[in-house]
Amino acid sequence: MEFLTFNQLVQLIVATPGAVFIGLSVAWLLGWPGKEKVVARVTAVTYIGLTILVAMLAWKMISSGTHMVTVDLGNWFEIAGYGFPLSLMVDRLSLPMVALTIVLVGLVGSFSIRYLHRDPGYFRFFLLMHLYAFGCLLLFTAGSLDLLIAGWEVVGITSVLLIAFFQYRKAPVDNAIRVFGTYRIADICLLLAVFLAHHWFGSGAWAVLFPGEWPNATHTITGPGMTFMAVLLVFAACGKSSQGPFMGWLPRAMEGPTPSSAIFYGAISVHAGAYLVLRIEPLLQSSPVARYLLMFVGLTTAVLATLIHRTSVDAKTSLAYASMTQLSVIFIEVSLGWTTLAILHTVGHAIVRTAQFLRAPSMLHDYHRMHAAAGGHLGKVGEQYEALVPHRVQLWLYSLGLERGCYDALVDRLLLHPLQRLARQLAVQKNSFTDPTPRQPAGETPSSLKPHA
Amino acid sequence: MPEATSLLSFPWISASALAALAGAIGIWRCTDPDRARRSAALVLAGVVALLLAAMLEQSRAVDSARMAEPWGGLFEVDAVNGFPMLLYVLLALVTVLVAPRRDASGPFMGGVLGIIAASLLVYAGRSLALIVIGWWLTALPFALNGFAGSRHLRHHRSLLLVHALAGGALTAAALMIGPRAPDFDHASTVAMVLVVIAVALRKGIFPAHGWLARTFEGGSPLAGALFFNGHLGALILLRAESTHLAATVQTALHYLNWGALFTAVFTAFLMLGETKPRRMLGLLCVSQAAFILAGLCSAQEAGIAGALLLWVVVAVASTALVATYRAVEARFTGVEDGIAMLGLAARTPRMAVFFLVSGLALVGLPGTLGYCAEDLLYHGALESEPLLGVVLLLATALNAIHLFRLFSHLFLGRLAAEVPEMPDALPRERWPLTLCVVLVVAGGLMPHRLVQLREAAAKQVAEKLGLEHGEH
Repeated sequence: MEFLTFNQLVQLIVATPGAVFIGLSVAWLLGWPGKEKVVARVTAVTYIGLTILVAMLAWKMISSGTHMVTVDLGNWFEIAGYGFPLSLMVDRLSLPMVALTIVLVGLVGSFSIRYLHRDPGYFRFFLLMHLYAFGCLLLFTAGSLDLLIAGWEVVGITSVLLIAFFQYRKAPVDNAIRVFGTYRIADICLLLAVFLAHHWFGSGAWAVLFPGEWPNATHTITGPGMTFMAVLLVFAACGKSSQGPFMGWLPRAMEGPTPSSAIFYGAISVHAGAYLVLRIEPLLQSSPVARYLLMFVGLTTAVLATLIHRTSVDAKTSLAYASMTQLSVIFIEVSLGWTTLAILHTVGHAIVRTAQFLRAPSMLHDYHRMHAAAGGHLGKVGEQYEALVPHRVQLWLYSLGLERGCYDALVDRLLLHPLQRLARQLAVQKNSFTDPTPRQPAGETPSSLKPHA
Repeated sequence: MPEATSLLSFPWISASALAALAGAIGIWRCTDPDRARRSAALVLAGVVALLLAAMLEQSRAVDSARMAEPWGGLFEVDAVNGFPMLLYVLLALVTVLVAPRRDASGPFMGGVLGIIAASLLVYAGRSLALIVIGWWLTALPFALNGFAGSRHLRHHRSLLLVHALAGGALTAAALMIGPRAPDFDHASTVAMVLVVIAVALRKGIFPAHGWLARTFEGGSPLAGALFFNGHLGALILLRAESTHLAATVQTALHYLNWGALFTAVFTAFLMLGETKPRRMLGLLCVSQAAFILAGLCSAQEAGIAGALLLWVVVAVASTALVATYRAVEARFTGVEDGIAMLGLAARTPRMAVFFLVSGLALVGLPGTLGYCAEDLLYHGALESEPLLGVVLLLATALNAIHLFRLFSHLFLGRLAAEVPEMPDALPRERWPLTLCVVLVVAGGLMPHRLVQLREAAAKQVAEKLGLEHGEH
């Protein structure tokens, strides 16, 4: 008899962080103060155990030549012929992401035990980290779009709550609201794609939509809905990976503590978008519109993000734009069909960026050490490409970079402010006979929706 | 009266309504807040036990058939009304327990019991006359100034005006239809319009979307939330078969559908310019509750089941949200100013958790019952009317943003200097709110039982209204 079957391994891996989250939350709600030592030990044991489990899973898959493991847990709920499929899947795309998640969350957890020692939000951070790990594992092992969106949303909400981690300052909270807004708008695309998948193709399961083993899977999506669905999924991926029209949120997310920046915006969360486009790659190959859209988004974001990255003055913002640039390149790779390169790029980028984020607080110290080691003669680097363009263009690009591509200003001026003005005018002028309340002054803007300084 | 297949062994519902009514009259004049709270809680616990007995008996009936009461047969219980009725009384119990001391007056507690007694007539009445009487009586505690106090009475005028108009429309519809199911003639067309008006007004459908926000602005928002969470407008549609309104309702659903959709989006959009927490809470409840009507109108069993589940979510989550808000407000009155961030999570972290979890359930976060409900609802909506699903998605997204804004205003940011020392959730607050949170979270993680429970009701509604085959 096998010690742990494939099914048991996958279920254990996904459920463990969720169970730890629930256990810690209930204990706290019942009055447990959330002692640092206990939290640290629970975290260490959890991720060491999970690393062993994922290693066992990988070993079993490799040794038995299994490329795909599916765990069918039936329907979460069902009614009148419609069911919410609860199936998990580990294949050559999701296994690296699962392993990456467990190892990096474990590392960041270990780092945070010291980094957040005696911080008032210590317990909250770990609680959210476990929930985040659960969301990520659910996202990467989801056997259907329906379950993917559950993980996707959990990752989103934990991300927002960690951006507002330093809740006693106003800026993180304002930025968290802005990020949450961006997420929600982008998530509409994913939700719509899920419901349309059911409506048009009768299922949201990967096995039905993309039969076969990744990366040699095909797709069963045909007809006029194909392009529409592919475009929706590309936009959803853009939202999670801060690309194209949704590129403004990533630097705002840097308000969170450094370990969360590392794990969310350097390592896993931002790569969820890349995972999604990799997963739907067979569909993209059949839909030129979606493929070219992905390429266009990748190219424009790469150019703009690298410009801003080069003019950013603080370490974390600079790293955020650098991440964005690499994600754009991954998007381009996927649009070209280079899936193996894209997944290698994803894994490599996540590891390097996590290390960079975790070193960011001691960057000045590192620089001084390097400076001293070089005998006080550190040469300038990174100006090779700038020298190729004329000086006037350089200046223009420089100011564009400093203005962060005017992204926030454009979104505020063209979208947010007109909507707010309209909402206020409607609230003032509505002649609803049931609500004759005197309104607040028309110029007053909710503080949380004011533009980012 | 429509035929019921069997009789209950005891008039459980009459006993419940009488107990609530007697409690309301007895407690109204009570001057000791603690005694009033204790007495109201005891009466409500008794009503819960009686209704539970009725529901259990009905659930054991063959095919979950409708069961009428013996001795006069004024009331009936079936798959549609049994669970919501019990839930509503439980929410009233939560309201009574969580209400801060300043609200726990005799008239407040008596008023809560009065609303329950009147609502039971609407939930379970076997005749249209009984339902109309119950409908009118639900606002009596507001008219008798039980909840607001003279200082805030003007805020309840909107509720009373809307209620009077809705009651008038329903009464006129009942008079036109009479005791028999009508053929589709002029009288039934007018009756249909009147039913649409009554339901739209009561559910806060545009242009009557502002009354709840207005009611929330003055006095205790708990009473307004309880009044709204009866969802009597939706209930009238669901009980159409029992009230000879079936033919009328089938046509009415079509018009209400678009009204509900517009309301969901419009109120969500209005909140963009809103800063007052109480008004935001009111608009949020109206917007999310409009989804219930949209789901009922989806004409699909999955959509109807989604709407019935969402009913549970909206009722539980909005009660918990409003109760948490009121509890925090009772500790620090500065929360009414909606501009600054107050940072109250530093003082009341558990309250912050209750608020966030129930709010996220209300807007359908995965892992909560709200997600299951919305998933079913969107599925049904897309099957019947794809545009409906798209619009609902937009409204949910906006509502989630507003919820987070509200949470930030109350609980995040630097702790305001004027915030006094205050206790976190007291035991009498903690346990009822934990119960609400557990219901929406456990119900979301293991929704099978609840979905099954509402599936029977959805089937019954779809069959009785002839929706499944597009007969409307």
